[in-house]
Amino acid sequence: MSYTGEWLLPGELGHAAVLLSFFTALLGVISFGAQTRGIQGGRTLSWQGLGRWAFGLHALAVVSIGIVLFVIIYQHRYEYHYAWSHASRALPTHYIISAFWEGQEGSFLLWMFWNVVLGLSLIRTAGRWEAPVMVFVSLAQLMLSSMLLGLYVGDIKIGSSPFVLLRETMQAPIFQQTDYLKFITDGNGLNPLLQNPWMVIHPPVLFLGFASTLVPFAYAMGGLATRQYGEWVRPALPWTLFATAMLGTGIVMGAAWAYESLNFGGYWAWDPVENASLIPWLCLVGGLHLMHAWEKRKQSLPSATILIILSYLLVLYATFLTRSGILGDSSVHAFTDLGMSGQLLVFLFAFVISAAILLALSWKRLPRQPQEEPLWSREFWLFMGSLVMALGAFQVLFSTSIPVWNQIFGTNLAPPADVVAYYNRWQLPFAVLILLLGTLAHLLPYKGRPSLPFKKWLLFLIVPSLLLTAGIAVPLQYTNWTYILLLASSLLAILGHLGLLWQQRKKWLRSGGAVAHIGFALMMVGVLISASRREVVSVNRSGYAYGGQFDEKQNRENVLLWKGEALDMPPYRVTYLGDSVSEPNHYYKVQYEERNKNGVVVDRFVLLPNAQINPKMGLIATPDTRHYAFSDLYTHVTQVMDKEATGGGKEWGPPEPLLLSGSGDTVMVRDGLLIFEGITTELPGDLTTQLQDAEVKVAAQVTWKAMKETYQLRPVYAIRNGVEFRFDDVREEAGINLSFRRIHPDKKQIELAASVAAPEPRDYIIMKALRFPMINLLWLGAVLTTLGLSMAVVVRHREKNAPPSIAFSKNDDKG
Amino acid sequence: MSKVHLFLLLLIAVAAGVILSTVDESSSYEDFATAEAYPGKEFHVVGTLHNPSEMEYNPLKDPNLFRFFLKDQKGAVRQVVYHDSKPQDFERSEQVVIIGKMSGSAFEASKILTKCPSKYNEDSIEVAPNTRTSLRMLKSVAQYPFLERTL
Repeated sequence: MSYTGEWLLPGELGHAAVLLSFFTALLGVISFGAQTRGIQGGRTLSWQGLGRWAFGLHALAVVSIGIVLFVIIYQHRYEYHYAWSHASRALPTHYIISAFWEGQEGSFLLWMFWNVVLGLSLIRTAGRWEAPVMVFVSLAQLMLSSMLLGLYVGDIKIGSSPFVLLRETMQAPIFQQTDYLKFITDGNGLNPLLQNPWMVIHPPVLFLGFASTLVPFAYAMGGLATRQYGEWVRPALPWTLFATAMLGTGIVMGAAWAYESLNFGGYWAWDPVENASLIPWLCLVGGLHLMHAWEKRKQSLPSATILIILSYLLVLYATFLTRSGILGDSSVHAFTDLGMSGQLLVFLFAFVISAAILLALSWKRLPRQPQEEPLWSREFWLFMGSLVMALGAFQVLFSTSIPVWNQIFGTNLAPPADVVAYYNRWQLPFAVLILLLGTLAHLLPYKGRPSLPFKKWLLFLIVPSLLLTAGIAVPLQYTNWTYILLLASSLLAILGHLGLLWQQRKKWLRSGGAVAHIGFALMMVGVLISASRREVVSVNRSGYAYGGQFDEKQNRENVLLWKGEALDMPPYRVTYLGDSVSEPNHYYKVQYEERNKNGVVVDRFVLLPNAQINPKMGLIATPDTRHYAFSDLYTHVTQVMDKEATGGGKEWGPPEPLLLSGSGDTVMVRDGLLIFEGITTELPGDLTTQLQDAEVKVAAQVTWKAMKETYQLRPVYAIRNGVEFRFDDVREEAGINLSFRRIHPDKKQIELAASVAAPEPRDYIIMKALRFPMINLLWLGAVLTTLGLSMAVVVRHREKNAPPSIAFSKNDDKG
Repeated sequence: MSKVHLFLLLLIAVAAGVILSTVDESSSYEDFATAEAYPGKEFHVVGTLHNPSEMEYNPLKDPNLFRFFLKDQKGAVRQVVYHDSKPQDFERSEQVVIIGKMSGSAFEASKILTKCPSKYNEDSIEVAPNTRTSLRMLKSVAQYPFLERTL
């Protein structure tokens, strides 16, 4: 059977490019692998050149796959399943970009693209590390491109191709027709939750973060494979810092997306997908600090190697968790299962096993310091802090993996009922420890000779930060000790690192570490205050008595707003002004007014929380937020009036008979006045011609005054061939349907019947408003952390190739 | 024994604590019978919406009260009270997970998760209907608003 209208060329090109990318990645593994072995065996073959060619071709193939897929989506070629299921004609261009990576295949492609960019820059800059590092980059690309193959070996499906046709994936009678494409006029569209500007930038940054954890991993593995156990650390340092910055930014952007466009009322919900990206970041940060301990004092190399390797393995595990469908109902945004769990496990285990073998083989040879770190030295506390971070990561990992444990052990555990409280109970103390250990480590010099006497510490650091803590905790009425400790340790970290910044003001570029630590501590303060003092502004005060057994403590966080009717919602008076539609979004205009004691309006603004009323998913509400310097006011609708069900076509009331005898007769009908002006034979419209041969044809002249408007109505009554005809005057805009019933010649009266439209149901919304105090500290802290890490990337990149002895002075700071 | 070893021992102890607490605090997917046996303890109950006509949500009266009946996987039916707005398209969900505890004869839910039969990527094809003729018909009616012939 041949079909008309299909454009098969791009699909064929795409398939070919996928195959090419797979085999060039394989060739890359072989050639860079051979080159690596060549170094060891002393042979010098031109494997390296071959590897570069292979990777160059691979890069070309990956970019081609991307271009072809984009063209298919952009051109709305719905014969392709990927375009059909992720895009639609109504989608604006920037969301077509998000449609590109909405599906699994597209996001694997995005990941591959970043790996290609990283691989190409490694080929340019890695020098003698090129071959051992590129082996692992090529290996990752081999695994990823196999995810796009879409081949069947026997009954086993290998990969899922983004270029399969719609008719190949679905069974439907429509595909019996050769011209079936004519009937498929639109695609399924992009999930409305993803139609958000954050979704255009968050996935690329997050995937860059995921992809860049490959580089330190590849260096560590390459170091083990070539027995350069400690040498990999220096060239890998800028990459580790870069990966930390990117993954961290990606995670924070995800939080910002959740805060700006989801309506769960926050930025972090300890959702499995969020956790899955946090776990590798925690490990990576731990590893990063231990790499510094090795660089400075030749300490902690085994732990650094393990943490760096683990962080990439955890990225792969996160991929497995989110894409195998194993999370099922426990996550809001788990991807759908493409039946590739097996392949994902192969991917994961290939890396886990090769890492375990390499580590086991070289474990005895990893260099270790014979003597222990002195107690009051930076390296000792770096080690402690990093292990605490790893332990924190383990807690998140173990709890997030509950669905996996259920699969393995056949148990039936559900996540804790109050997930947020559960994780916070564990992670708050971890955050306190990490902040304290981080500050302590940073204030102590390497080797262990405390520079400041204890008295000065007490005077300049501990006492001021405790005073500040009291100054903040008292007005916030904190009684929870964990909160107070977190606040105190964050402030200690901020003050301590400000002191360091002051000491190093002449070498500001070298203070990246201090800046990043200040940023992290500020984030913690922002998280603590905005989450613990999050306040429901829209408290329902309508005093509705709950029946039965439930008491007053219940949350009453939603309020009903009638259109045009102000409601006091202290400190605001809010009014719902009306809605407007800009498909697919419905915007609800909510006016806030803040008055001072004398009733004078001091602040007035309008928020536009919006919702998509999606036929497939129901109401998808997106908040609108008023940003102040010290707090945010966040508003979203939870219910809106269903206008489809109540409006659209008037409902007419029962006809009311009206007997009128002369012009000037006036009758009150509902809220309007009906004035009879007289009878005329002038018929409206083309009725004159239609009723040419009728015996009787008359129109009543009626004035209808309602809703501040006046209308002229002309209902018509006619008799043709002895049969009565009536032509009602139906005026939806006037809300009346007037019918000329009959003429009573005996009484000299005419009879009309008026049906009045049922009154419009009053428009309303139900909304929720929350206040997040000090949330800007969170975003500011995140920006500072990224800035500090970027400064350190620059410094470490410059020092990458310097010989170890002269690169560092004793006192300079870590990045 | 060095201080690093001591520290590692401490870490292992905390890790063990993590594992124990996870197992201890994780709730489990249960039915109403179990939830009734332990009133006040939080459970996940999986079930289906029972008798949709008895679903009660009147936002004009109280936007924070939603009541419905749920039939658990063993067939037991209980009223569920949820003090928040009704999740949109709740009626269409084919499976409901409620998280909360029994309180008297009703289940007090603190969270409701619904699983809709038509997730967004539902694989069913919508073929464009033959819109042209119906549009023409609509147009002709619209031209003559008062041509409502009543006999």
